[in-house]
Amino acid sequence: MGSDKTDEELMLAYAGGDLLAFEMLYKRHRGTLYRFLLRTLRHRADADELFQDTWSRLIAARERYRPDAKFTTFLLQIAHNLVVDRFRRLKPQASEEETEAVFRQLDAPESEQPERVLTEFEQRRRLQLALEELPEEQRVAFLLRIESGLGLDEIGEITGAGRETVKSRLRYALARIRARFVS
Amino acid sequence: VSARDPDDLLRDGGGEIGDLYRRLPRYEPPRRLDRAVLNEAARAVHSGRPPRRQRWVVGIGSAAGLVLAAGIAWRIGHEPIGQNETMSPAAAPRVVPVQPITESARVRHDESAQRAAAPADADAARAQESRAAGAPGDSAAVDQVKSAPRKVRAASKLAPAEVPKAPPPAPAAARPPEAFPSTASEPEAKDLEKSEGFSAGMAAPAQDHAASADKRAATTNLRGRASPTVPSGSVELQRDMQLAPSEWLGRIRNLMQEGRRQQATESLRLFVRTHPDRHVPDDLRELLE
Repeated sequence: MGSDKTDEELMLAYAGGDLLAFEMLYKRHRGTLYRFLLRTLRHRADADELFQDTWSRLIAARERYRPDAKFTTFLLQIAHNLVVDRFRRLKPQASEEETEAVFRQLDAPESEQPERVLTEFEQRRRLQLALEELPEEQRVAFLLRIESGLGLDEIGEITGAGRETVKSRLRYALARIRARFVS
Repeated sequence: VSARDPDDLLRDGGGEIGDLYRRLPRYEPPRRLDRAVLNEAARAVHSGRPPRRQRWVVGIGSAAGLVLAAGIAWRIGHEPIGQNETMSPAAAPRVVPVQPITESARVRHDESAQRAAAPADADAARAQESRAAGAPGDSAAVDQVKSAPRKVRAASKLAPAEVPKAPPPAPAAARPPEAFPSTASEPEAKDLEKSEGFSAGMAAPAQDHAASADKRAATTNLRGRASPTVPSGSVELQRDMQLAPSEWLGRIRNLMQEGRRQQATESLRLFVRTHPDRHVPDDLRELLE
């Protein structure tokens, strides 16, 4: 049942009392949401907690859902709000000076950068470390783009930022990741 | 990793970085989380709280039901008080038509009143007095409507319909006796009270004939006081009945001398009914022919 239905149709069906529609919806998005939370929070217990909270809020808000809002945006906006609340209680993010230093290094000619051939395992490990080191806003933007496949406008809708701001965050995130690979 | 422009990330799949990212471990939520979330979703559906649209329908339905119930209650509250009690058409009108007083009706009433029980006469007398008062309040009117069937039955018993044999109404009763005085206008009712001491004339004879030797006349006067069927227009006949027989005959002669032959005839017929054992003088006998 419901495999050919869109996320929006399934969400409306669940709001009307169709539990099977919710199970289908959950099956589609459970992994993406969990990975987004886990890589954003970098802490499994926190990810587990916010994962359950996100779905709980979605269930409670099912009657307010309108099909003019994309379901993925609706779901990730809930998750993002929870993440922001969690980060507000954690340590501050990287300073602007640190970010600019990394960016200047990445802007140097490729001839001036050390070239190293890394194994695939090393590449994955470095990407993992790079994601963990990204400032919160950049990491969220990167994960929403790569993990969830959202565009600039959708990321901006979820995070409350403008299109250019989102693009700037992605640029900084890319620079930091490259820095990790060339260091 | 050679990507420098964010547009590389915006390509399908995220470009080189995207490919590398998808080679990272694909973490999944633990089973316990799956169970918890699905259980919560099921509880929300089966908690009994209907979705907003259904609650809206229920709310509208409840409001409509309340309006309907209030309307019915309002309608029932405005039904006339006596409507449920008086189902017969005869009880519906507040004005009960009254037969003109006749001698035969008067005589029959007196005879039946003698046989009737005292409480019934007392009730009738009270009703008559209240009507003679001429100004009943709203509550009295309501009481009259409520007791209309009983009064109608009492009136029909006390004043049997002998209209076909009865003579035409006395000229003195010029006011048409279509209704009880209680339904007449207030000035008219006051006039009735004032007219020749009507009310006083109902009570005074009790003192007069206490000194009278004619006990039958006194008895007749007392009965007449309690009569509920005497119309207000028959004031003179009512007064004649309160006279002693000899005085009554003199009164009839005076009417003859005044040229009021019709009134004299009515009064004499009533005299004969009231005093059947009395001899009618020859000079008045012609009135009976």
